[in-house]
Amino acid sequence: MKEISLYEEKDTPIHALDPLTKILYILAAILVPALYGGRTAMAAFIAASIAVLLAGRVLRRTLPILSFSFIVLITVVIIQGLFRAGNTTVAFALGPVVFYREGLSFALGIGLNVVNILLSFSILVLTTRPSDLVEAMVRLGLSPKLGYVLASVFQIIPQMTATMGTITDAQRSRGMETEGSLLVRIKAFLPLIAPVVMNSLITTKERAIALEVRGFDSRREKTFLRERKARGRDKAVNALLAVLIVLALIGRVTIWLT
Amino acid sequence: MADIQVKELTFGYAESKPVLQGISLSFDGRSTAIIGQNGAGKTTFVKLLKGLLKPTAGDVLIDGQNTREATVASLAGRIGMVFQNPNDQIFKNKVLDEVMFGPLNIGMSEGEAKEHAEAALALVGLCGLEQENPYDLSLSERKMVAIASILAMDTGVVIFDEPTIAQDWRGRRTIGSIIRGLRERGKLVIAILHDMDFVAEYFERTVVFAKGRVLLDGGTREVFAKEECLRAAYLEPPHVTQLCKSLGYNEVFLTAEDFVSHVKGNGFTV
Repeated sequence: MKEISLYEEKDTPIHALDPLTKILYILAAILVPALYGGRTAMAAFIAASIAVLLAGRVLRRTLPILSFSFIVLITVVIIQGLFRAGNTTVAFALGPVVFYREGLSFALGIGLNVVNILLSFSILVLTTRPSDLVEAMVRLGLSPKLGYVLASVFQIIPQMTATMGTITDAQRSRGMETEGSLLVRIKAFLPLIAPVVMNSLITTKERAIALEVRGFDSRREKTFLRERKARGRDKAVNALLAVLIVLALIGRVTIWLT
Repeated sequence: MADIQVKELTFGYAESKPVLQGISLSFDGRSTAIIGQNGAGKTTFVKLLKGLLKPTAGDVLIDGQNTREATVASLAGRIGMVFQNPNDQIFKNKVLDEVMFGPLNIGMSEGEAKEHAEAALALVGLCGLEQENPYDLSLSERKMVAIASILAMDTGVVIFDEPTIAQDWRGRRTIGSIIRGLRERGKLVIAILHDMDFVAEYFERTVVFAKGRVLLDGGTREVFAKEECLRAAYLEPPHVTQLCKSLGYNEVFLTAEDFVSHVKGNGFTV
């Protein structure tokens, strides 16, 4: 079934990693620089993320995500570079426009932070099927019902878009204008939305029955369709990430104590 | 009489995968069934006729007007289409209002629309249910509401997408007689169907689609005679046709009545 997600099916070691390992990686990528407090750590994680994305053959897919955030980041650079309180050291001047070193350095910090978080999330989003992610969370103890709700969101939205398309066609076929002035569009709203709502109610009822006949509400402990293989590789990566977080924590505490 | 010309029609949802390839057809007054395997491009084809989709290449002319240059709403007065799922269109609280929606949209007066709507509801056998809420009706009745809402628009062309689904024997008969009635009033009827017995009984012309092309086109009897060709499109002739062929008759029979009258005419007693 069609799902909304950025996931792209590929056969790489990164895709095969346990989704929870990827979540742990995000945690590490955020926590370690935050605890350790250095830009070097951020830069290191950015480099690591890029390497992982390359190995997963999805680096190109991060471009639209990054280019969107760059628009925001450029404004940050301009505003902070020009106007940050505490700007004293002139970095360079373009005619009457003067950029200050303090502001630029602050903007660089923000930029690294954003790129780091985006890239580490990209690894999870681009290489994990949403349903696998939900399944991993259910294994961890998330209620299977809540898991179903999360997973179904990815499927229901494209389904509703398709229904919306058919309904628009059906009403246009009966001579209803759907394009044009605001008034035309307002008039078209009810004929379009009413069948969508009715259809959703009907499908929801049918879905509920279909789930129930397959024991959705059963109190027995649920098993999984695919048995999870305990893999050494996942464990090794998990251990490495945990060690990094702990080391950063120890580092932070030591700084406090001295 | 409405006139539809299809010239070298090619269409694909994605550029690399054409759904229809170089289709040329012209529709005369005969009621026409479109049959073919799932995914052969039948629904896509009728959506192109209706102007809901625009051709990638080639042209569709409705009464001489190119669908590329017309909006769907402006074509609605000339060409009506009954969708598969009635739930995709029903939004009024009363059956009568639902059926009047189309006629009012194409510029009929209130009185005219009401008159047409009531006549259409009588045709589909829903007399007396005008004030009901459509969603209180059964699915097959709602399907009839959807049919009535197109009939009431009194278009020169009426397209049905799978009209016999979810209909019992009586519903099928009603739809069959509606199709005949439209034909007698000089309307062009085009229907997508999977029920070969229904095609044999009510349609004069049959077009077979396979993999985005027209495989066969001709009188229904003529088309169902070409069993080999039909098998290649994963279709089979009507049951009566198959039975009579197995019995060793050389003629092609389309319906039981057809066969019975032939046998009686030859002096047998049945």
